[in-house]
Amino acid sequence: MTTSHRYSKTRTTFGLWQLIQLAPALLVVVGLFGGALALALLQSLGFAPWFGINEFPNPNYFLALWSEPDFWRSLWLTLYYGLASTVVGLVISVPLALTFERRFRGSKTLLALTRLPLMIPYTVGIALALLMLGNGGILSRLAAGLGLITDPGEFPRVLQTHWGWGVIAVYVWKQVPFMTLALLAVLMGIGQGTREAARILGASQVQVFWRITLPQLMPGVVSASLICFAFNVGAFEAPFILGGGHPETLPVLAWRYFNDANYTYQLQGMAVIVSLILVSGSILVGYLAIVRRFERVRGKAP
Amino acid sequence: MTTQGLRRLSVGQRLFVLAVLAFTVGPFAPLLIQSFAFRWAWPDLMPSVWWFEQRQISPFPLAWDYVLSPTSQVLEATINTVGIGVAVMVVCLIICLPAARVLARGHFRGKRRLEFVFSLPLLVPEAAIGIALLMIFIGLGISGTYPGVIAVHLIPTVPYMLRMLTSVYQGLDAGYEDCGRVLGANEWQVLTRITLPLLLPGVLAGALFTFLVSTNLFLLTFFIGQGKIVTLPTLLFSQISGGAMGATAAGIALIASIPGLILLVLSDRLIREEAFALGIGDT
Repeated sequence: MTTSHRYSKTRTTFGLWQLIQLAPALLVVVGLFGGALALALLQSLGFAPWFGINEFPNPNYFLALWSEPDFWRSLWLTLYYGLASTVVGLVISVPLALTFERRFRGSKTLLALTRLPLMIPYTVGIALALLMLGNGGILSRLAAGLGLITDPGEFPRVLQTHWGWGVIAVYVWKQVPFMTLALLAVLMGIGQGTREAARILGASQVQVFWRITLPQLMPGVVSASLICFAFNVGAFEAPFILGGGHPETLPVLAWRYFNDANYTYQLQGMAVIVSLILVSGSILVGYLAIVRRFERVRGKAP
Repeated sequence: MTTQGLRRLSVGQRLFVLAVLAFTVGPFAPLLIQSFAFRWAWPDLMPSVWWFEQRQISPFPLAWDYVLSPTSQVLEATINTVGIGVAVMVVCLIICLPAARVLARGHFRGKRRLEFVFSLPLLVPEAAIGIALLMIFIGLGISGTYPGVIAVHLIPTVPYMLRMLTSVYQGLDAGYEDCGRVLGANEWQVLTRITLPLLLPGVLAGALFTFLVSTNLFLLTFFIGQGKIVTLPTLLFSQISGGAMGATAAGIALIASIPGLILLVLSDRLIREEAFALGIGDT
C-alpha cells in the first residue's frame, strides 16, 4: 500500500514521540515474534542452558537432521501441500472474484455465503473433510447411491494418504474466501475502465484476461498467495489428522521431536523449525524477486 | 456487457458459483444431520437410528445431551474462546491505534521497511513461532495461562489490525482535527470527539476481524495453552484427532462455527473489502 502524500511531501523527522507510539506494536513483532525466531536459531545451534547444554555454535543438530533422508521427504511433502493448496486456491479464486466483481441478482448474499469458511476454524474444516471424504463418508455414499461402488473400500482413498487431497481440500476450502476477498479488493481499486476499453478496441475475452485483467490483478495474487503459502507450509492440524503418517510435514515432525521424552531432541526440533523458516523464507523472497523482475520487464516498476 | 445495473450470469458462471457454494457451505448439511444421528451406516444417506430415539434408553448422555452437559467442556471452551477473543481485540486495538497513526501520517526514512517488518509475522509459519515461543513462555512461567495465550494471539492479529487501521487513518482527513484545534479543542477532545468517531467504522471492522482470527486460532492456543486452556478449536481437535467423526464431534463442530456465523452476518455490513488489499508484494 502506498503512502498518501496529501498533506506534506516533506519528510518528517522520526522523533521520540513517534517511537513511543510505535513501541507497543514493535514489542509484539520484534520482541515476541523476533524473540521466538532468535531463540529458535540459538537453540538449534546448541544453546540450551536450561537443559545444561551450551555448545553454541554447534552445527551438528542441523547436520544430523539434513543427513536424514526422512527430513528431505518431510520437506518435500510440506512444500507440496503448501504449493498445491495455494495454486488450486488461486485457480478457483481468480474466476470467483471476477464473477463477483459486478453485482448480479443475489450476489451480496451469495458472496457472503462463499465467505463462510473464512469465519470458521480450520478444525471445523477438518471435521467436514472427515465427514465428506472418508471411505465411509458422504461422497462415498453418494457414489454408492449412483451405483458406482458397492463397498466403502472401493472408494478412492482421499484421507490419510501422501497424495493428501484431503489436506489440500481443507486448505483450499478455508483459503478461497480469503483469496477472493483480497482479489476483489484489488479489482475494486482498479475499476473496469481499461478492460472495457480493450474490449471496445476489439480484444477478445481471452486476450483481455491474459493481457489486462491478470497483470492488473498481480499485486493481489502475489500478496494472497504469499500469505497462504506461508500459512500452508506451517500446517499442523490438517496433516496431523488427515495426512498419511510417516513421513510427516515439518511442523508435525518438529512437534514430535519437541514432545520426545529425550529432551536433546528438542534441539533437533528447533533445527527442523529453523530449516522450515529458511526454506519457506527463501521461496517467498525468490517469488517476490521473480514478480519484481516480471514487472520490470513489463515496464510497470522502475 | 453493460456498465451499470445488474448483470446476468452465463450458465457456466452460474454452475461455477453453485459448485463453489456446494464446496464451501454444502458440507454443513451432513454435519447437522450427523450431530443428530445415533446409527448412520454406509451407504445410507440418512441415519437409520436417531439420537432422540435412543436418549431415553441410553445409560450415558448421547450426542447433544453430551455436548450440552458439563463433562464435554463445551461451555468452558466457549467462554474461553469468546473471552480470549475480546481480550485480544482490545489489547490489539490499544497497541495498533497509535502505531497506525504514525504509519499513516508520518513520512520518515525507512517507513516502508518498517511496514514490511510489521507484516513479517504473516509470512513465517505459525508452527515455527509456536514451538519457539513455548520455550520462552515456559521460562517466563506464562505457558498455560490466559496472559500467555492472549500474548501469543497478538502475533497473527497485530499485522492485520495495523494494516486495516493504517488504511483507515489514511482515509481520515487531518483537516478535521486541525479545525478542532483551531477552534480551541485540546488534544484529548480532538481524539474523543473527532478522531475516534471518524475512525469508528474502520476500527469496528478491524476489531471484528481480530476477534475472528483469535477465535479461529488453533495451533498457537494448542502449543501455548498446554492443554490447560481449552478453546472451541482445541476441544474439537481433541475430539477428531483420532480421525473419526461422531455425533459429539459434529455437535462441537457446529458450536465452534457459531461465532463465525454471527460475525458473517455482522461483517456483511461492517467489513470493508478495501481493507483486505494487503499489498505485501509491493513493499
